[in-house]
Parts: sequence; C-alpha cells; structure tokens
Amino acid sequence: MDTDFQKLADALEVRFEASTSDPWVEDAFASAALDCFRHQYAACAPYRALCAARGATPEEVARWHDVPMVPATAFKHFDFHSGGGAPSEAVFRTSGTTRGAGRRGRHPVPRLSLYRAAALPPLAAALLPEGGRIRMASLIPPPEEAPESSLSTMAGFAAERYGSTVEWLVDARGAWRPDAGRAFHALAEEGEPVLLLGTALAFLHALDSSEVRLPCLPEGSRIMETGGFKGARRSVSRQELHAALVERMGVEGRAIVNEYGMTELLSQLWEPVLTEGVESAGWHRPAPWLRVRALDPMTLEPLPEGREGVLAFFDLANLGSVSHVLTEDIGSIVKGRVRLRGRAPGSEPRGCSRAMDELMAAAGG
Amino acid sequence: MSDDPARAVQAALDRLAAAREGVIGRPWREITGALGAVGRRFLDPTDPLRVEALRALPAEAGLGPEMAETVLDGMAGDWSAARLRSTVEAEFEDPDVLDGPVVVRGREVMAAGPALCVQIVSGSVPGVGVNALVRSLLVKGPTLVKPGRGDLLLPRLFQRALAEHDPELAAAAEVLYWPSDAAAALRAALARSDVLVAYGSDTTVAALRAAAPATTRVVTYHHRVAVAVVGREVLNGSSVERVALDTARAVALFEQRGCVCPHRVYVEEGGELDADAFAERLASALEALESNLPSAPLDPEEGAALHQLRGTAELLAASGQARVRHGGVAAPWTVVRGAEPTVGDTPTLARGVQVITLADFEELASRLAADGRHLQSVGYAGLEERLGAIAAALGHAGAARVVPIERLSFPPPWWLHDGRGPLRELVRWVETERPESATTLLPAAARRARSPSDVRPSGSPRRGR
Repeated sequence: MDTDFQKLADALEVRFEASTSDPWVEDAFASAALDCFRHQYAACAPYRALCAARGATPEEVARWHDVPMVPATAFKHFDFHSGGGAPSEAVFRTSGTTRGAGRRGRHPVPRLSLYRAAALPPLAAALLPEGGRIRMASLIPPPEEAPESSLSTMAGFAAERYGSTVEWLVDARGAWRPDAGRAFHALAEEGEPVLLLGTALAFLHALDSSEVRLPCLPEGSRIMETGGFKGARRSVSRQELHAALVERMGVEGRAIVNEYGMTELLSQLWEPVLTEGVESAGWHRPAPWLRVRALDPMTLEPLPEGREGVLAFFDLANLGSVSHVLTEDIGSIVKGRVRLRGRAPGSEPRGCSRAMDELMAAAGG
Repeated sequence: MSDDPARAVQAALDRLAAAREGVIGRPWREITGALGAVGRRFLDPTDPLRVEALRALPAEAGLGPEMAETVLDGMAGDWSAARLRSTVEAEFEDPDVLDGPVVVRGREVMAAGPALCVQIVSGSVPGVGVNALVRSLLVKGPTLVKPGRGDLLLPRLFQRALAEHDPELAAAAEVLYWPSDAAAALRAALARSDVLVAYGSDTTVAALRAAAPATTRVVTYHHRVAVAVVGREVLNGSSVERVALDTARAVALFEQRGCVCPHRVYVEEGGELDADAFAERLASALEALESNLPSAPLDPEEGAALHQLRGTAELLAASGQARVRHGGVAAPWTVVRGAEPTVGDTPTLARGVQVITLADFEELASRLAADGRHLQSVGYAGLEERLGAIAAALGHAGAARVVPIERLSFPPPWWLHDGRGPLRELVRWVETERPESATTLLPAAARRARSPSDVRPSGSPRRGR
C-alpha cells in the first residue's frame, strides 16, 4: 500500500491524461478508489475520526461504495487536507450561502497539477473535440485575480492549454474591463471561431448589459456555460438563456455546452452536446474517474437507474482532500449519465457565479 | 388552467376586475361571516369538504395522515368567523374604515383594499395559501393566489366552497398555479397588481421584488426560522419532560418547513439539568412522536438537507465538537448537541434540530443578532419574571414573536407576521379633509377630551367607535 500523496498523485495524473472519455472500468476505478481512501484515512485527521466512529476503517471497507461519505456542508467546518506534509497550493472557497449569512466552504488543494490533469481532458472532449487551440474569451474572472475560485482556476488551465489568444473580459468583481467591448468586437471581426466561457448568471447579465453588447460570434464558435441561478436575484430557464444566446451570438444550440461542477469536487461533468447533439442536453457525462450515484433520501441506499435521489460523488481527483462527497444536489443516473434536477434549495452554485450576481446587483446591473 | 399560463392569468385578472365592485360593497362583518362559514366546514368531521381535504392532503403536502389532520385542525381553527372578526378588530382601531370613511382620532379616514392583490406563495405548508386568500378578501381586495406546489389543495377547496356559499365574494378570489419558469404568466400578473405579496426564499422574494412594477406595493415574507429557548426554571425533573415534548412537537409540526419551526434550541445553564440532558429528552420525545405523528417519506431535497446535517454533525462528533442522536434509517429526527451555527451553515429540515448551551438568557439576543434578519419566532419555556426584558432584547435582535414553545406552531390569525400587521400591509389609507377640519393635530389628551362632533359635520360619514 502506498499512502504517499505525491506518488499517488503522480500516478493519477498520468492515468487522467491517458484516459479516453469512457468511464474507467470498475476494477481499475475500485482499486484506485480504495487507494485514495487508505491515503485519506491516514492523512486527514477529522476524516479518520469519522471513519473510526463508524467502524469503517480501510481494514473493514472492501468496496468503494462503503467508504464513508463527507457531506458538502462539512467543508464549511473542516479543512479536509490530505496532502501529507505538502502545504495547500490553493484553497478554493464556496461563494456563500443562499440561506443567509453563513460561513463559506473551504477546499484545500495540495497539488494544483492534479486538478489541472483532471479538469482538462473532459473539458477538451466537451468543448474542443476536434483538438487544437482556439481563441478564447472569458466572462469568468482570471485566476490571478480570483485565486480562491475553482472555476477561475479551471478557466486559467483551459486558457493556458487550449487558448491561441485569451481575452479576460471581466475583473475579479465581475465588472466589465474597460476594453471588453472593443475586445468582443475584434473577436467577432476576425472571423476565427471563439470559445466563450461564463457562468449562466454572467451571460444573463451580459445579455442585459448596456455597457457591452454581446456580438455575433464567427462560425464554429462555442460557449461554455456553468452554474445555476439559485441564490441569484433573478433567473430564467436554461432553455430561455440558451435561446437568447443563440439569437444574440449566432451560435448553434449544440455549441452551448453546460458544465456541472462544484467547489468541493475537482472533477467535472459535461453535456456532450457538441459531439452528440442537443439530444444529450441535460445529460451530463462525468469525468471518467468520477463515479456518481443517486441515493435514497432517507436510507442513502443506491437507487435503481432513472430514480431521482441525492447525488453522491466519488472523485479520484480529490485525492488531496476527501473523495467520497455527498451533495445537496438531486438527480438521477441513466447509463452513466447524470440528469440534474437543479440544485436543491439553499445549495450553492460554484465559484463566482453568485458573487458576480451580488456585485452586479450592488452596481445596479 | 389552460395550456397557456399567461392567458389563464389574464382571464383570471379580468374576472377579478369585474368582481371588485361586488366585494367593495359588502360590509366587512358580512365578509368575515361568509369566510368563517366556509372555514368551519374544514373542522367538521362529517363535512365532505374536510373529508376530501384529509384524503388528498398527505400526498400533496408530503405529510403523514396524522400530521395532515393536525395541521388542518391548527390552520382551519383560525378560519372561523369569530377569529377573523378578531383579526380585523386587532388590525384596525375602527374596522368600519374598511366600509367607508370614518372619523378615527379626529381624522376622517378609510382603508381601501387593493384593486388587485397578487399573492405568490412558495413552499409546502398547507393552509398558507388560504390564509393569504382570506387576508385579501378581509380588506376587500380581489386576489390572485398562486399557492406553493405543496399547498394547492386547500386554497382550491376553500375557493370552491366559498363559491357555493357566497358566489359574489368567491368571484374576488382566483387560485391558479403555474410553473416557476412561466415568466409570461408572472409578468402578466404583476403588471396589473396593486399589491404583490411574495412568500419564499430570499432568492424568490428578491426576484419577485425586482420584477414588480414601481407602482406595485410589494409585501415580502422571506426565509425565516424560529428558535426555542429553555430557561433554567424548567430544567428540572418535574418540568423537563413536558418542555421536551412541546419542543419536539414544534420541531415536528410542518416537518421543519415553516418559519415557525424551531431549528435551534438554546438551553440555559444553571438548572438542575443541563443541555445534554435536555437534548437526550428531546431526542426521546422526537422518537416517541414517530408513533403519534409519524413522519412521511422524505422528498429528495429534505433527504439531502437531512444528510448534510447528520453527516456534518457526525464529523463534528467524531472530533469531539458535538454529539448527535438520530432516528437512523427509520425516522428522520436528528438532534445535534454542539457548536452554534448561523442560518445557512447547516441546513435543518425534516425534524432536525440543534441544541446549544446558553450561559444566561441575557446572552441570547446578542447570540441571535447575526441571524436577526432571518429570525421569526422565539419559543420559550421558563423565563418567568425575566420575560419582559428578554423579549425586548430579542425584539431588537430581530425577532417578531416571543411565545411559549407550545404555541410556536400555530400563531393566531392576527399575529404580527414578520413584525407587521397582516391586513394593514394590504390597505391604502385615504383621508378626507373637510373645509372645517382641524389643520393641526391636537395632543392625544385634547383629542380625547373633544367630542367627535367637533370634527364631524352633520351629513359626514359614520363616526368611529
């Protein structure tokens, strides 16, 4: 058994980067998941205490399904650091709560390269299936200005790896940069496909903005949209938002790709609409090393395929914290794809989505 | 409802506009009588209306049958003519202001109900929609009520029964449901509303407020919670069981979905028993309540919240920061002893409650200050002669209601809902000045000394009493 964090992380990074879009076969996943558990049990004191209290030690647990879950809320109360002696390279923070004043969750990340290795291949499969680089523009603040945002960090990884050019159009407060309108106009004029990143709320505000008019994007352009509206001042249905983006920006419906992620998980789920068409909208594909289960709301027993329940995630990319996370999100699983009901009342959209909304609200936007 | 929610809303608004004149012409006493006649039927075990309500309520509201009956009894108890009359009398010094101009304290005033009161009610607490409907009719405001998804049944039954009993009054109430993403329906409703009453989460309420026209008065009831406080006076062998049972009932009633449900219990030090002992009794009482008022199967959202609470509490317990007892997979009740959360830190739904030690009640107001904007009711046991001072401090901290724990669940219809009069919020005051009216208000003592005839010329409206 190797519980050394860096060695385990090295091995995972290699395997993430070599993965296809297909889920890892069960044996390979189960073995890696139990390695993760052994490591986290040894490295993370509050998690070890929970496991011990439940009698669920590595000696006792034979299946990854039985590894004790940590509720997402617990990230508000504990620093789940499983990096051994390695200090955190980043601490991602949740954006607050929709129920009112409350503390923010913290996700310590002892090794950002593992996050990068987990984030990029599924992102590329969903947004750049043809490979290569693309002109990028972002309504997500740049990572240097929002180091506590897991979403900004991911956008930074994507820009660095896949961007031929990158325009960061908003600052950390979510406000337009002075040259945002000109940058948008230039992107539209140059005729090269553009990948535009943003949260649903950022797009909503951008559609309403009197400062900057969203342009018609060149053919082949695509949009990454993420985050819900819960906790926001206003909301529209996802269909309405997409229809507005199609109309205003001239992109195809299948070129608007939704990402589902949360601060507590370093792997993401994507709608494979660009490769499979709009029929797959609403059916998120998990990263290959991420297992998702819908559980009975009372017993937490796994539900049959297609039944809605509480979503639990086992994320190997969370090696440096805790991997088995029980969320407040509701959804069902069919053939490995996840159908989200939308976030449960009071749960939090990831990253800066809501922070930006509050800023826009404060600015009267 | 037609396939097009916006069209259905427009049609309903047209009917309400046509019904206004009829309801304006009705004396307020007559209205309380008509509403009370319908309300009474929900309490009559032999009435088909109650039978129908009790048959359908458990499934719709996600409540056990026993709980559904308890909730219906508690809510409908306030829909009697006497209780509604008392509500009007509590709200208006002279309720005749609802029927026309009246001289009150030397001023000739009238309380005009809205031409259209749109009420968007969220959630699944049965009866809230009926309360909303009744409030608007009491002030003669035609109302469109969009009930919460789990509260469609009772407003519809009430409206139907009112139509049988008093078609003219019933014409001034429409109960319609449309999905939350039917934006055109909402826009149509808001565009014609004089008053919008919005119930729901902070998010929902903020969105509705933002969507309302500038000319619409917006009355909001945002997310709120209650807490309970147990004083050292009752932390003894003879009282604690009863207090624990009262607290357990308050936690269980409405399955923690209401703003009157206590999510935290503060237990004062210095009694014979401590907070740990109280938490044990509370857990036992919640366990016992599963026999009398069994919980219904959880919906996924409730389950999600419950397991966030339990899982977090177990982590805290494993680190020595909390203790937790719960009903396992058999029952959702969960009692957490430990550190004090703020609203939103840890969701509590489905009979989840946290028990927190308090050195002295004098600390309570400052401890609650951070949550003041979301604080609704404070239920107490003990306190005795300290009550007045503590209630004042709690009021400044944000509480709107300080009541014995056993009364937490069912406030009377005239309660100061979120700190405001439920009917006064809906009316617009109209003042008439006559040429001979006084142009400066006299001191109260002088007003009392003067005869009302001094300011009421002959032929003017009826005098206030």
